[in-house]
Amino acid sequence: MRKNITIAAVVALAMTTAGCTTTGDGGMSGGMKPPSAEARALAEKLTFAENGFVQEQPMQEGGTGRDRLTQDETQKICTDVALSGKPIDDATASKVRALAKASIKYPAGGIKLGDWEKGRVLAWSGFGFRTAHKPDNHKKREPGATCYNCHQLATDRTGGTIGPSLTNYGKIRGSSDEILKYAYDMIYNPNVTFPCTNMPRFGANGVLTEQQIADVMAYLFDPKSLVNK
Amino acid sequence: MLKKILLAIPAAMFAVSVQAAEPSDSPYEVLTELLSKNKDDLYLNQSQQNLMIMPDDPALFTAEEGEALFKEKRGPKNVSLEGCDFGKGPGVLKGAYVEMPRYFADTDKVMTFESRLVHCMVTLQGFDKKDKQVKKRHGSGSDMMKLTTYIAMQSNGMPWNSRLDHPKEKALRDAGEVMFYRRSGPMDFNCATCHGQEGKRIRASVLPYINNPAEWTKAVSWPATRVGQNNVRSTFHRVRGCLYQMRYPNLKQGSETATALISFWTDAARGQPAILPDTKR
Ligand code: HEC
Ligand code: HEC
Repeated sequence: MRKNITIAAVVALAMTTAGCTTTGDGGMSGGMKPPSAEARALAEKLTFAENGFVQEQPMQEGGTGRDRLTQDETQKICTDVALSGKPIDDATASKVRALAKASIKYPAGGIKLGDWEKGRVLAWSGFGFRTAHKPDNHKKREPGATCYNCHQLATDRTGGTIGPSLTNYGKIRGSSDEILKYAYDMIYNPNVTFPCTNMPRFGANGVLTEQQIADVMAYLFDPKSLVNK
Repeated sequence: MLKKILLAIPAAMFAVSVQAAEPSDSPYEVLTELLSKNKDDLYLNQSQQNLMIMPDDPALFTAEEGEALFKEKRGPKNVSLEGCDFGKGPGVLKGAYVEMPRYFADTDKVMTFESRLVHCMVTLQGFDKKDKQVKKRHGSGSDMMKLTTYIAMQSNGMPWNSRLDHPKEKALRDAGEVMFYRRSGPMDFNCATCHGQEGKRIRASVLPYINNPAEWTKAVSWPATRVGQNNVRSTFHRVRGCLYQMRYPNLKQGSETATALISFWTDAARGQPAILPDTKR
């Protein structure tokens, strides 16, 4: 865990000194002019325009399209960071971390590993919460966790590279309480370690249930899991 | 049988070399040149397989059907689309597609290519927006895709050059840029989550990077045959696909919101040659 934080710090430092790089993930490049207040106001207006996105479209979690488009505080701050063309500054990073910390709920019986085989199915599945022209029906199929979109996990399938490779995760990191908590936090709300990261807040945003998180955790840590073979 | 194959091979090679000699006529040639200038580019090089089918791209037939539709007298007013002004004067198609979206005084609106085509079918030919000729937007079999592919092809190889002269054009482009970076939804995504770094992949697909115009020209070169879907697809079809992955609600076609996003995405490819029609995974 300490190693991870050190790595994050080094990366952050490298980005600050490089100057002209992006904010690392999901931001404008340094050479670009941040948008004007008018542009931002028009973007908000168009996002909520009645003839743009279908504001009243019902969403799987309840609520409407408008709710999906409405930003919470973390999303607002991280949009500002993305539009600034600069890496996140220390004060903003602390604020995002604090918001993340406050959002994390731990299972009553402590962090436990579930069923790695179920976790494997979840990690691969891209189903769930998609709406637009063809809404996913959660009554017919359980929403997935989309981890493979961004990560390489077990090598029998090709994963993405937006996030680092998690192959042999448990084998390399072990399964101390410390590393289990670190991984749980990553899945629940990764902004606690990486403020304004590209990784979604699967727990805090209600995408994964407590049981699903336990199953995905097992996929990462169970010695029998294909991730560690 | 064997004889047939042997005959087919030189014929295919011939087709390729003929197309290569005529840059303005051949998307294959435009893409080949782009690839030769960006030999190590991960996103561009994943199109090597698609390159092989390009000389026989089914979109070329879609375009042919589009040409016939374009010239045919149609609709309640029984006129052709040759009187439609896509921004460079009535009936002028060459270079029109790469200059969209643009402002039109007759509607006092910035319009995407698609909304302009609808406008002409309605005002010039007298179609109703609910008629299937206008309403059906997706699939190689739709009139809209046929017409779009034909007209877009008249800009093949020309640099993307969306207009930014009128204040409304600039305002929408700038709002589109903000929307590109605006994070929301259950996954906290903005467009830059997936298109904000170079050479990254979602599963096996290499993603185009917004700040690399050579990649971005290929990214925004629609219509394109999506090999996996066996259909020619439009700009809006791609926007919708990404919004779907972002878990956003449905976006209305022809809305100002869509125009803003498309204005920004076209601007990001400025100056790079359009590949029209393109082939994609
Ligand atoms: C949209 C892309 C994306 C998705 C989807 C995603 N992640 Fe991540 N993940 C990242 C990024 C990016 C990082 C690196 C953190 C950073 O630098 O911002 C990361 C980091 C991690 C880490 C920490 C790695 C380390 O070095 O210790 C873990 C563990 C992790 N992710 C697990 C998961 C799991 C499990 C899932 C599925 C529930 C998942 N991720 C889904 C993008 C993603
Ligand atoms: C969760 C990841 C993700 C997000 C977020 C995302 N896209 Fe995409 N986008 C993709 C994938 C995957 C492809 C297909 C790339 C391929 O097949 O190589 C793609 C393709 C594209 C393409 C065409 C390139 C091609 O080769 O097909 C464009 C242009 C594009 N996206 C623009 C956008 C815009 C604009 C947004 C925001 C509204 C956006 N994307 C958001 C994942 C994403």
